Amino acid sequence: MYLEDNHLHQHSPVFDLDASIDHLAHWLPTQGPIKDFIHHNTLHAFQHLPFHEGVSVAGKLFGARSYLPLDDYQRMFREGRIKQHALDWALERAGCSEEQTQALRSTLFDQDRRSHYPPVSLVNHGIRNAWMNRMEVDLNAMVHPILFRLLANFLDQGISRWTLPKNGERFWDCVLRLAQNSLLPLYPFNELAVRELLNQSPDEVIKHCLQKMVGSEALYEQYLLEVLLAHPGWSGMVRIVEQSPKSLLARRRISLKEMLAVELLCELAFVHIRKGDGFLNIAALPNLQGIPLLDGDVLRPNVPLRMRVWHEAMEWSLHSELLAALKNQSPLPAKQDSVSKPLPEAQAFFCIDDRECSLRRYLEEVNPAIETFGAAGFFGIDFLYQGLDDAYPVAQCPVVIKPKHLIREGSAKPKAEKKTKSPEFGKMHFSAHSMFRGWLYTQTLGLGYAARMAWNVFRPTLKLPGIKALSEVGEAHTHLHLLRENDEPTEDGYLLGFSLPEMADRVGGLLRNIGLTKDFAPLVVVVAHGSSSVNNPHFAAYDCGACSGKPGAPNARAFAWMANHDGVREILRERGIAIPDTTRFVPALHNTSRDEITYFDQQDLAKHPIKELHAFKQAMQHALQRNARERCRWFELGPQSHSSEEAHDHVIARASSIFEPRPEYNHSNNLYCIVGRRALTRHLFMDRRAFLHSYDSETDATGEILVKIMSAIIPVCGGINLEYLFSRVDNSVYGAGTKLPHNVIGLLGVANGVEGDLRTGLPQQMIEVHEPARLLIVIEQSREVIDMAFARIGDLKEWADNDWVRVAACQPGSKALSLYTKSGWEAIELPAEIEVPVANRSEKIIGGRGTTIPVHQFTGRHS
Amino acid sequence: MNQLLLACQFLPLLGLLLIFLSKGNEKRIATISFWFSHAMGVSIVALLSLWAVAGFPEYEYHWFTLYEQGDYAFPILFYLDKVGAAYLFCVWTIFAIIVKYCRVYLHREQGYKRFFQTIFGFVFGLNLIVLSGSIDMLFAGWEIVGISSFLLIAFYRHRPQPVRNALRAYTIYRFCDVGLLLGAWMSHLLFHESSHFSELSRLFENDAMPPAGYLSLSVLSWLIILAASGKSAQFPFSFWLPRAMEGPTPSSAIFYGALSIHLGVFLLLRTMPIWSYQVLPRLILFSIGLLTVIVASLSEKTQSNIKGQVAYASITQVGFMFMELALGLEALVLLHFMGNAFLRCYQLLVSPSIVAHLLRVEGAVDTDFYIKNSSSLQFLPVSIRSTLPEVLQNTLYVFALQEGNLERLVRNILWNPLKKLGAKINAAGFKVKALVALALLGLVVLAPVSGGVKIYLSIPVSLAMVLVSFGAFSEKRSPMNVWNGVALSSLLAGIAVWLLNSAALTDVALFLTGIVPAWLLGLWVLARMLKHENFAEAPFVYRAMAETRPGMSLLLFLSFLGLVGFPITPAFLGQDLLLFHASNQHPWFAAPITIAFVVNGIAAARVFLRLCMGRPTEVCVVDQSR
Repeated sequence: MYLEDNHLHQHSPVFDLDASIDHLAHWLPTQGPIKDFIHHNTLHAFQHLPFHEGVSVAGKLFGARSYLPLDDYQRMFREGRIKQHALDWALERAGCSEEQTQALRSTLFDQDRRSHYPPVSLVNHGIRNAWMNRMEVDLNAMVHPILFRLLANFLDQGISRWTLPKNGERFWDCVLRLAQNSLLPLYPFNELAVRELLNQSPDEVIKHCLQKMVGSEALYEQYLLEVLLAHPGWSGMVRIVEQSPKSLLARRRISLKEMLAVELLCELAFVHIRKGDGFLNIAALPNLQGIPLLDGDVLRPNVPLRMRVWHEAMEWSLHSELLAALKNQSPLPAKQDSVSKPLPEAQAFFCIDDRECSLRRYLEEVNPAIETFGAAGFFGIDFLYQGLDDAYPVAQCPVVIKPKHLIREGSAKPKAEKKTKSPEFGKMHFSAHSMFRGWLYTQTLGLGYAARMAWNVFRPTLKLPGIKALSEVGEAHTHLHLLRENDEPTEDGYLLGFSLPEMADRVGGLLRNIGLTKDFAPLVVVVAHGSSSVNNPHFAAYDCGACSGKPGAPNARAFAWMANHDGVREILRERGIAIPDTTRFVPALHNTSRDEITYFDQQDLAKHPIKELHAFKQAMQHALQRNARERCRWFELGPQSHSSEEAHDHVIARASSIFEPRPEYNHSNNLYCIVGRRALTRHLFMDRRAFLHSYDSETDATGEILVKIMSAIIPVCGGINLEYLFSRVDNSVYGAGTKLPHNVIGLLGVANGVEGDLRTGLPQQMIEVHEPARLLIVIEQSREVIDMAFARIGDLKEWADNDWVRVAACQPGSKALSLYTKSGWEAIELPAEIEVPVANRSEKIIGGRGTTIPVHQFTGRHS
Repeated sequence: MNQLLLACQFLPLLGLLLIFLSKGNEKRIATISFWFSHAMGVSIVALLSLWAVAGFPEYEYHWFTLYEQGDYAFPILFYLDKVGAAYLFCVWTIFAIIVKYCRVYLHREQGYKRFFQTIFGFVFGLNLIVLSGSIDMLFAGWEIVGISSFLLIAFYRHRPQPVRNALRAYTIYRFCDVGLLLGAWMSHLLFHESSHFSELSRLFENDAMPPAGYLSLSVLSWLIILAASGKSAQFPFSFWLPRAMEGPTPSSAIFYGALSIHLGVFLLLRTMPIWSYQVLPRLILFSIGLLTVIVASLSEKTQSNIKGQVAYASITQVGFMFMELALGLEALVLLHFMGNAFLRCYQLLVSPSIVAHLLRVEGAVDTDFYIKNSSSLQFLPVSIRSTLPEVLQNTLYVFALQEGNLERLVRNILWNPLKKLGAKINAAGFKVKALVALALLGLVVLAPVSGGVKIYLSIPVSLAMVLVSFGAFSEKRSPMNVWNGVALSSLLAGIAVWLLNSAALTDVALFLTGIVPAWLLGLWVLARMLKHENFAEAPFVYRAMAETRPGMSLLLFLSFLGLVGFPITPAFLGQDLLLFHASNQHPWFAAPITIAFVVNGIAAARVFLRLCMGRPTEVCVVDQSR
């Protein structure tokens, strides 16, 4: 449906600005300031639609690609990564008639270089384009630099030396102040046509401008949307600050409406400057046919069937690799007798993170007497944490949980007074020092920077002293104030610490979640993870997703402290979880980029020595080195030798080089999520592609535990998976583009160049090797229990219903597999010819391979 | 030593060629750049040590004479002295570091090959500037640096913003090239054979009389200062530098942090005898420096992005250098230059760390974290904050926010009048144009052969040349017209010169041998490219031909270089010769021909950008059945 005359005259109900803005805002990206990076579904606004339709609509709005180039799929087919059976499977599900299927099948292997190009979209071909093509006014080029400067300076969190807003000033008032109360004109608000408008309210200004420039009320909403989507990064940021001012450290008062008012004023001024008073508004321009309209068919999905089939075939090929391996492995001893099975020497809790998948495999390989568990990396402890050196507390739990408790780190020994307030000498380059001090510094110290630069570039690992690495953070002499002393909330309404029953709730909850309620080993290591890197503004995206993009160390320390506490154990014992006195919990932090581990709270260990710890540490050290080697297979410039030590040195160098844009590949290639006993996956090589959550189906007949697990897994793992997927499929629209030209703006985010839009999503260097397939969640539980659980997860069910994640059930015992669909479970029948490759050591599998590897089965391993 | 000089000069060019010929394999390119940067490093170090052993002489090497006719000569001259040595040292250190840095940093980047080519081209131009023995050669290097800078700003050609900013920087470069082009010509005029840097200082040694008239000497000084302030982003051209931070971070660091921005200072150091002879140019230089320091240090205060902040800090320091130069503190300037170059380069390289630094390191509770006491830092200086009326605070802020309004100032003074004039010309009907053309042609052909009249005839011809250039400049709808306009204006330049000095016919021919093939090539390429396009329908869309038709784009680029007189065709030399011949007796002619030269360059660059840059936006219309 295109713009026609009758359309212009037919008046829709009166234009309601507030409702319109609220409606439009849900299409904006929701990525907060860069200091906390929270993975989420990039297309969350389309989740109510089935996956392919949502993707298609999003493409038509944002002008983005929806699939990989056709060539890529065809190449994967030739290389055997896409299997014929999966292609058949996908064709079958394309919902076509017999005839259509045949026709479709015949075009699958056609060459078509353009099939993945973005469709006609609102952003690229909308009504605002009329300014450029018909009036020859490039509004974006003129307005954006001015608007972005105002926004960036207003929201700036500490880069610029002069702060723009006065205390509590709103954005609109701030712009007014500059425009009206300055001896120099604020260009272009000094333009005669807009000067008087400044005295009106933002509402009136917006309506006036729309009326002048657009003309027809039917097009107002679309025009506003196009304005917003011309710079999605800033629009989204303003919306986030408007709705949750707490996401900024230095609070700012701004709303989308104020931003729109300023922007439209600016546009109006420029149109006046270029075209004078008598310009034609958009609705009055001739020849507007062919422009996509918001209330036309933009929001109607148009799924390219061929691409859909190829994409699903790729996903199903990859998914069936795991499913076949799960099904084919030798039957497990159904119920293990606690008497016959020796107690493990040590147990270790890891985050579900896919980066821990291989480390767990190696740890068990090095010492089969170690048992590992996976749980969301906040270990069930939801709190705000303020470290010794932190200026402000940060949430240490998934975004969906709103923590009520505040934990502060305290020092065991009196703190040494910091002597000076002047910045450290070695850090002087962070302040640009423009004037006389700068003159002095450049004259005297400048040459020294030649040496420093050469040092950093040629000898990255030999650190100049002074930069604290993440692994050094947990100093031995600090402790967490965990036990609440009184119930008085702080001024922000938080409780300081936990009471004993609250602790027992959390510890017991986690232990039940992962199915560990008895048979405790003498040593339980709680391994959180974080990542250290230098010269990397996206550092928060490298840390633990379940801790809101922070290293999980405080959670591990809190969990271990609580689980070691006699009072807590007392309560737990009453609730049926008996932790033996001989069992000690030890917190640790795995640095995923350097593959190093730090054990915390050593002073505690001194009091309760554990003899197993030494052996554990050694096994861990081996495991880390081998893990580093496995990671190196992705690094083309890394060593491809067999030496694990060399690989380990390489990953450390990577994490400390200022010129390395890829300290690690993070969650690249994440694909599976398995909720079940470790025994189910212990024999499998899953190529660091699986999120693993421990879960014992037998203790959860009602699905209650599963509800808890799913409500953490779906948003966290699903969010990670889809953010990687979309950033990979169209890195320039959904992703942040390449990291190399990024410029940090106001500590809020990164942009290209000095006057660019904020870039949301993931940079190219994080996703380039990712295979963009949706997550397959396999739950080791009967379908009935899963159904019971799904009935209670609320909105999250739409992820599974609309295929934004795939869910499969693995019947405990029989291992019958079935696939969840909106209309019910489907039994999964894999063709018999699928063979699961076999190997006896991880190194045998990874040797010399630079692409993703199918799931392998290990022979000769005992669980 | 001569061989070493040549090695320093031509190794980067060789590297560039090898990379260009290699298949785009990352490893191969990395190996080539590794060996060439090392070989260049070795030759620079060897050269400098030999030079040091020889007792820091002012060393000149005359390789051969490229072109000689009458009293015009274009010798290939190299020159090394303390200033050159200092610059050469910096080039070596920073280039070696950047090449190592980029080996990993650019890994898997799409434009890996393009990047290394450009950066080698840049170093070639840089060494040419640093080692050149005369202004002519320096100008050649100047152009090469300008083009490679342009290409690196537009490195991410998918988005319009880098492309726009590349054009912005290029226009400023181009405008300020007027200074150098005219400067080269004037130095020929004033010092004849002796435009060698080695002889400059000697010229001024006998203090009784300057080697040329006071007035022409001042004009020459102003031209040099203009060229220097454009390249070094000084007042009033400061605004282009922060906006040029569009390429990969290391390229910003080497160009705008470290080396390119200090070339203006280098030019001034080289030509110090010329402009320091009089007080007025010194005074001008000092005021430019002072104004820059004021504007840039205020602008820096409100930069909320880290690269812009570093850029303005760097501009401020270069402003100081200008002031130091004006005061004659040569040694201090050299020290200052090196310090600033290394510091800014490092600052830009580690600029992504600012988030972690401010939040994790400075964020410590007990250090001064500017977020916490932002209100107290609101407006400096503290002492008068309470007394400074709000209106002045706002004024100061607006001034800083708009970066002194320099951009609009320059645009309104320089470009808008041109655009308006050009639009008027384009609006003129075909008949008018044809009539004018016929009249001119008739005059030229039929005019009596006597010399006197011919010279007067050259006035309307050169006027037509300038007007045609303006027309091309403001033509937006047809790239063909732009190309023809540029070529026509060059042709008219040739005719005008011939009219002025019929002896210059061979030189005109030389000039046209560069222009005409470039023009024809361009026409052919444009015709091929626009075959299926309706350009006038969407004249502002970037058409991404570099992606979709890389071969054609490369040809168009070459044609563009030829057409604007880049030192790859005889047109570069011809341009210099035209100026020399025509203006020897008729200095007024220098003005129109340089104006046309500058404007043509910008017009052609714009066409190239519109056609070749951008993201492929071919629309996929998928019907449901597939």
